[in-house]
Amino acid sequence: MSIVTKALKYICVGIFLLWILVPVAWMVCLAFKSYPEWRVAYFFPKDPTLSNFIILFEPKRIIGMMGATAIVDPVTLPLINSLIVVGISTVIAVFIGFFTAYGASRYNSPGPFSLFFTLLTRMLPPATFVTPIMVYYSNLKLLDTHLGLILLYAAVTVTYGIWILKGFIDNIPREWEEAALLEGATHSQVIFRVTLPLIKSGLVVSGLFIFLLNWAELLFALVLTNVNAVTLPVHISKYVGAVGQLYGPQAALGIISSLVPLIVGYMIQKHLVTAFTFGMVR
Amino acid sequence: MSTRPPKSVSLLANLPINILLYVTLIVPFILMIYLAFLAWNPAGGYEWWQAPIAGLNNFIRAFSDARFIAALGRTVLFTMAVVGVEFLLGLVLAYLLLGEFRGKRAALSVIIYPLMLPWVVVALIFYLFFQDYGPVNNLFLKGIIGEAATNIHWFLSPTTAFITLLIADIWQWTPFMFLILYSGLSAVSKRLIEAAQVLGASNRTIFWRIQLPLIRPLILVALVLRALEAFKVFDIAYVMTGGGPGTSTETLSLYIYRVAIEYHDISYAAALSLIILIILVAVIRVFIWYSFERR
Amino acid sequence: MSEKVISRRKFLVTSISAGVLGIVIGAAGAWLAKPEVVAEKTVTETVTREVTRTVTVTTTPLPTVTPTVGFDPVTQRAIDGVKALLASGKARPGDTIRILHVAGSRANLEKAIELWEKHVTKDIKIELITLGQEPDVYTKAMTEAVTKAGTFDAVTIFSTWLGDIVESGLARPIDDFFAKYDPGYTGDVAPIEPLGSYTTLYKGKRYALVFDSDVFTLSYRRDLLTDPKLKDRFRSEYGKELKIPDTWEELIDMAEFFTKLNLTAPSGGRVWGAYFYAEPRFAAYITWLNIFIEAGGILFDLKTMDPKIDTAEGKYAFDIMLRLKPYMPPEAITASWADLYDKFVKGETVFTAAWPSLSKEAHRHTAFVKDVAGSAVLPGVEVEVAGRKKIIRAAPNPVNWVAVISNYAKNPELAYLFFQFATSPDMGKDVILEGVILDLFRKCWFTDPRYRPAFEEGYGPEFVDAYLKSLEISFPDLLIRGGPEYLGKLTVNVNAVMAGTKDPETALSDTAADWDSINKKYGVDAQLEAWKSLAELFPSDVKEVWKAKGYM
Repeated sequence: MSIVTKALKYICVGIFLLWILVPVAWMVCLAFKSYPEWRVAYFFPKDPTLSNFIILFEPKRIIGMMGATAIVDPVTLPLINSLIVVGISTVIAVFIGFFTAYGASRYNSPGPFSLFFTLLTRMLPPATFVTPIMVYYSNLKLLDTHLGLILLYAAVTVTYGIWILKGFIDNIPREWEEAALLEGATHSQVIFRVTLPLIKSGLVVSGLFIFLLNWAELLFALVLTNVNAVTLPVHISKYVGAVGQLYGPQAALGIISSLVPLIVGYMIQKHLVTAFTFGMVR
Repeated sequence: MSTRPPKSVSLLANLPINILLYVTLIVPFILMIYLAFLAWNPAGGYEWWQAPIAGLNNFIRAFSDARFIAALGRTVLFTMAVVGVEFLLGLVLAYLLLGEFRGKRAALSVIIYPLMLPWVVVALIFYLFFQDYGPVNNLFLKGIIGEAATNIHWFLSPTTAFITLLIADIWQWTPFMFLILYSGLSAVSKRLIEAAQVLGASNRTIFWRIQLPLIRPLILVALVLRALEAFKVFDIAYVMTGGGPGTSTETLSLYIYRVAIEYHDISYAAALSLIILIILVAVIRVFIWYSFERR
Repeated sequence: MSEKVISRRKFLVTSISAGVLGIVIGAAGAWLAKPEVVAEKTVTETVTREVTRTVTVTTTPLPTVTPTVGFDPVTQRAIDGVKALLASGKARPGDTIRILHVAGSRANLEKAIELWEKHVTKDIKIELITLGQEPDVYTKAMTEAVTKAGTFDAVTIFSTWLGDIVESGLARPIDDFFAKYDPGYTGDVAPIEPLGSYTTLYKGKRYALVFDSDVFTLSYRRDLLTDPKLKDRFRSEYGKELKIPDTWEELIDMAEFFTKLNLTAPSGGRVWGAYFYAEPRFAAYITWLNIFIEAGGILFDLKTMDPKIDTAEGKYAFDIMLRLKPYMPPEAITASWADLYDKFVKGETVFTAAWPSLSKEAHRHTAFVKDVAGSAVLPGVEVEVAGRKKIIRAAPNPVNWVAVISNYAKNPELAYLFFQFATSPDMGKDVILEGVILDLFRKCWFTDPRYRPAFEEGYGPEFVDAYLKSLEISFPDLLIRGGPEYLGKLTVNVNAVMAGTKDPETALSDTAADWDSINKKYGVDAQLEAWKSLAELFPSDVKEVWKAKGYM
């Protein structure tokens, strides 16, 4: 690659990174700004403060914030709830997605019609679905429980797992599996020892997406939880004071909330970056 | 091409997914369909199982509902615009980031960061950005076009308000496209690429002729999934413009939300959702047939 | 091949252990974070057991004649009521009152809980279910009406939702509790009329307790209005005196004057003459409705329920708003309601109108306008009544918080007593002054020297006077069934007119058509009945004009 193209490449990537970073920088600055500086045009706070972060963990210590008298509970419970609910539902969705995708890719079972049907779960606008599911869950006593949310999240995101993984599985030649079968492996061995490792990056990608989607999900959690299973996005929506939304604490919580997927994403990155060699099979 | 699946595989591939979907979703879904054929309103003073059957009234009403049709058209326009732009940007970015280079890990983390932010926070950032007192007018544009920048009122005119929504969505979701395309492209067998390089193909040719066609199914998946999400756009419309000015940036989800929650016309909202469902199913079916089955 | 076996096993092991670890951490964290587990699973109790228990337990004797601490009678009756319930076994120690409410009122409710634990009892617990936004409270309340799950005992709602909440079967009529415990709705301690009536009555029955008042007042920058140089200049340019405007026409002139001066506010921003609500999310209807009612308009015909908004009064309201538009910042049309607060507190608006909390905000020591924020009654419209010209003033009361008891509550009487306690003259004073979004409504708080100083300190004396007058001329939000829908459709059209995407005639006829279909949806007769009861509760000035115009 010539120097010119290389430089061009760096510049293009650089511009894009800048485009991503500017709103992020705004958010970070906002997290350190107090009320009078929320609705301004400049980035760096002239009067930086830590009160936005403190209010997340010790809500009763309102430090000099204008109009911010909405006291809510500390953020630890929603944080833990989110971790549990999203973590478990993601694992479920990825694995069920993988099994279904495998069957669909190799044997057309479930068939294309059923697969298509799973897309329906993504097409449901939450606003209308909320009341029926509320009625259903209240009869099953699943309201405000972790299990209820986990099932719902897994059910509405499993389709991501199916479709993404099917794409990856389609790209693995069947001959390799057939070779393994011929060498005496059972079907489950083929699935778990041959195919699964080969689509690692697919598992990682679909897992990450499903995680992110559920991590940010608001409407269902809002309606189906009260106090016990409150998740992080619901908690963010509670930072409202007498003067409208409290942008500072919301930005602070946004940063904290994004740290979890960031850590998850960073840890799995090497599975995305490394191009695996197919030589392993032989 | 497919043989009969062995029992174990068939069980594994069908049972878990069916249990999950049926236990969780099927009953509410059927309930929602049933509601669409009723004339039920929670404030009507009667229970939903006592509500009078409205037959197809809700559906007929939808077709003469100008606000619904407008929201539909607007959302279609929005979806096509953002999916198109995000796909192109994501593709370019994936191409640029394919090789190894210094700082790649950091760059990757930055690029996918927007996906990790809570959507309300993204919406409020862009809400503050585009206000008259915000940085877009007073910092960025001022540097480019001077004082005239302060005369732009982003949320006051339907066109510019719509553009702000586009920008916010593109900022947040291009990383999604990028991620799928990137992981698909890097999964293409190295041996294939090496073989092509040995045969003297340039990087560009390899990209266009080998990698891109191989990930075609993945591209389709990315487009369909992203389009479905974009169609449901709600948070940015609600926080940034509130559907305004008037109803000129009211997206479908926002309108259905208002019908269901503010006007609590749950039956009508259910009917609207079903109509949308049918339209989406038809469109996707046609799209898949067009891309795949006609050879 | 072995490499893959290890990687698969490792993958499974790491994921499973991560999952287990996550669950362990989560469980530990949850256990630590919630030390007292509210065991709401077991609800069944046998009354027979209780009777024998209470006989042996000696409680403090019920205060019968003289209260031990000098509380006002309303508070005392609440305290006595709770103690009587405990003594008779109808309430047990450990019972919980669950209240659904919005985050903004959390500070107030926590103060009420503190006072409850101090003066009433620690045995009855209060659990707060807090939601971030008002629409969420509305959704949860309406869903409860459907599921009847008993998730909460009481909910604080906007008075605008009263019709919906009652008709859906969620709100319990509380005339019986009113008769039994007398929350002080008559005499000197009563909530100012007509607000006391129109926020709590629906079709003649009592369903709510007043928890707050939300009547609009005019806020202005006193320093600019009393500056001698500015007064001279205004006099020379307009030939009139610079003062608190009596009519909207006068306000437009002053707004034009100040906007053209292009002054700089203490915050550094530009000073605008006016800022009145015109935003699309929910508030645009307030300004329009204000002017419409003052001009003598009536929302629905009192005989047929036809919407009467596409009339001369409706057009006049738009006329005023559009003439005000050049002197308002563009955010009035696009930004959310909090922006109005922000601008006034920073000194960037001269005239504005909002809820009482605006005066509270403007008096904070961190506010730029803290010494110069003035309050007055809203300007009116000059109308001809019986041959004479009269300025009619009426103040809107959008979204007043009231407390409603659920029909599916587990402890309805206790929940009622909590709210009687929290809104009583003595306790209510502390509850209201503790937070920002609740405001005063009892007459004694305005006139009685025992209470007034505290409120003057919180709001400023000029506000307290202006507010009392505003309350007396206040009119209700459209709180019949479907209220949010009627107003929502109106708001969207008002905003369209202000943004220039629709002309006033079309907007009014579109809204009228929408309102017609809402009427039909719920049954014209049913709506008419509710509207007739509501129209009776409008202030007398307005009703006088209606009679003069033949509307009533």
